[in-house]
Amino acid sequence: MIIYLYDGSFEGLLTAIYEAYYRSEKPEQIMAQDSYQPDLFSQPRVIATDSDKAGKVYDAIERKISHEALEHVFYVYLSELPGLGTLIYRYLQFGWRVGADINGHLSLEPVREVLRISQKVGVERHRMLGLLRFKKIQGELYYAPFEPDYNIVGLMAPHFARRLADQNWIIHDLKRGLAAFYNQERWLIRELANNTGQLNWEENEAFYQELWQNYFQRIAVEGRTNRKVQRQFMPARYWRHLIEKPTQ
Amino acid sequence: MLLVEVLEKLNILSAAAKYDVSCSSSGSNRKNKPGGVGNAAASGICHSWSQDGRCISLLKILQTNFCVYDCAYCVNRASNDLPRAAFTPEEVADLTINFYRRNYIEGLFLSSAVWPNPNQTMEALLRTVKLLRTQYRFNGYIHVKAIPGADWRLIAETGTLVDRMSVNIELPTSESLQLLAPQKKRENILQPMKLIGSQIVESQEERKQSRKAPSFVPAGQSTQLIVGATPDTDLRILQLSESLYRRVHLKRVYYSAYVPVSTNPKLPTLASPPLNREHRLYQADWLLRFYGFEAKELLNEASPNFHLQLDPKSDWALRNLHLFPLEVNKADYRFLLRVPGIGVKSAQRILTARRFHSLDFEDLQKLGVVMKRARYFLTCKGKYFGQIPYREEAIKEKLLAKPTKVENYTQLALFSDVENQQPVQDALTSITGEL
Ligand code: SF4
Repeated sequence: MIIYLYDGSFEGLLTAIYEAYYRSEKPEQIMAQDSYQPDLFSQPRVIATDSDKAGKVYDAIERKISHEALEHVFYVYLSELPGLGTLIYRYLQFGWRVGADINGHLSLEPVREVLRISQKVGVERHRMLGLLRFKKIQGELYYAPFEPDYNIVGLMAPHFARRLADQNWIIHDLKRGLAAFYNQERWLIRELANNTGQLNWEENEAFYQELWQNYFQRIAVEGRTNRKVQRQFMPARYWRHLIEKPTQ
Repeated sequence: MLLVEVLEKLNILSAAAKYDVSCSSSGSNRKNKPGGVGNAAASGICHSWSQDGRCISLLKILQTNFCVYDCAYCVNRASNDLPRAAFTPEEVADLTINFYRRNYIEGLFLSSAVWPNPNQTMEALLRTVKLLRTQYRFNGYIHVKAIPGADWRLIAETGTLVDRMSVNIELPTSESLQLLAPQKKRENILQPMKLIGSQIVESQEERKQSRKAPSFVPAGQSTQLIVGATPDTDLRILQLSESLYRRVHLKRVYYSAYVPVSTNPKLPTLASPPLNREHRLYQADWLLRFYGFEAKELLNEASPNFHLQLDPKSDWALRNLHLFPLEVNKADYRFLLRVPGIGVKSAQRILTARRFHSLDFEDLQKLGVVMKRARYFLTCKGKYFGQIPYREEAIKEKLLAKPTKVENYTQLALFSDVENQQPVQDALTSITGEL
């Protein structure tokens, strides 16, 4: 069984897709190098990332299939779920044949899977646009730690760059040690270890946190308590970085 | 600002505002400006969910809860003995900005009790909004109440600064108003609604000509009706909503199950708020706005209230079995929408999928159709899958069979039929609290 291995980057994945199209030796699976477990039956082929080839695939998806398909592929990549390389490969194989109509073919497993996973990533992004909490650090800087299921920090940054355009901020994915930095002009993503040490909060920070906690407790109408719905939309795993305390 | 003082005010003035159910932040795409903070997200964003399961999107507060009126159903009524407070415009602006910069909220929903008269109340609201938009350069979402009886010029100026405005009707008929809020006149409530409505239409026209024309309440106008404080039937309520949608271009009518706040003998004694009824009204409202139904199809004088165990669409379908079963592979979009268990998204998906191959029963499930309701009203390639005789009583029995397990009495529960396998776009809207 031929397995193409890429370096884990999106470019690497697209390069592998390129090679799978042109090489005669077709892969049965495509996966990131570090998730590969050698066994007796598999024949790994390491694919060197090539940004020209990746760029060609990128353009081809957009031109020959659709922009929407490109977005779905990227979202699935960001899910970091096992099997995503192979799934994207199968989805695109089919996409080259049918073009822009691809997402109408819901009876096909790879199409359904791609849409399902892409949707999950999109849902988490949207949820986090609301649930992210900034705290003000001395020196006019807002800091927001979070631990998303998927690698969405890059999907969130443009939203906050538009919205909180006149403040400096950092959105920190503690799980992946990645952060988006914004300086009132541009944002970029860099590694940032999750031992930021003791941060010095701005003087008023505790004041607004307390106001918000109070507001949160009081805004619910007694007689209509519905924790089930609350949890459904705001799963407990996200509570850690909230300012409000849904448990009380 | 002093913590204790602001904390105290916030507690009083948010507690007084919470019965207003609207928390929607959608429908506006106000952009941020250079040097400013904030923008509106057209699809709306929820920032938290409170203990009652409702989406928290906006900082919902009153400018003041001092009131000269004495509406029987309201906690703020003059005769009620409760702590009173008033925010200054600066305090509201500071809270809004600081919550916003920390991403607690999407914007502000500012309302007020009437003190000392409608004009001065409206002036205070206008001052706050102006302060936020100009001094604080805030471009996030703002929803403001228009105070009935206030000078139109004040309301109109406020309208140029905010995203949404609302005037709460609260009670559906003049008789109920007479009974519970005798100081209020129905005409005073409807008058500003009409003016706001026509101003919205006018500004939309102007903006079609020129993008630079000023916006006026771009996210539209809404209102709220209280359910269960008066003997008014669902039919009366729904007819009112229908005429508001048609005649004053209302964006949303919100329904609020009456939460007993008083022991006034004019008010009913309820063990708990009529949430089930409120839920049915939301479903029916949805049918009016997006499914092409009319109020008179759903209810009539002979049965003027919704069935509490059956959703309004299933109820309607059962009374109109002669229009079904529908062939999924041929039916018009308009008719597909009328099938219980088929929502807007699943109907659209059926149309798309049909272009490629004709659909089987199994396909429908994948498209997000709720088969436990839809199966009795459909055929696929001529085959009926109901597995019971095609008769009203038989189907009704099936639809009622599972005592709809603890329903989520939120507006969102309406959309459970589209929860599966939706593409990214509708997934985004399905978690915003408003669709
Ligand atoms: S005018 Fe408004 S705040 Fe005052 S009592 Fe009536 S409903 Fe309540």
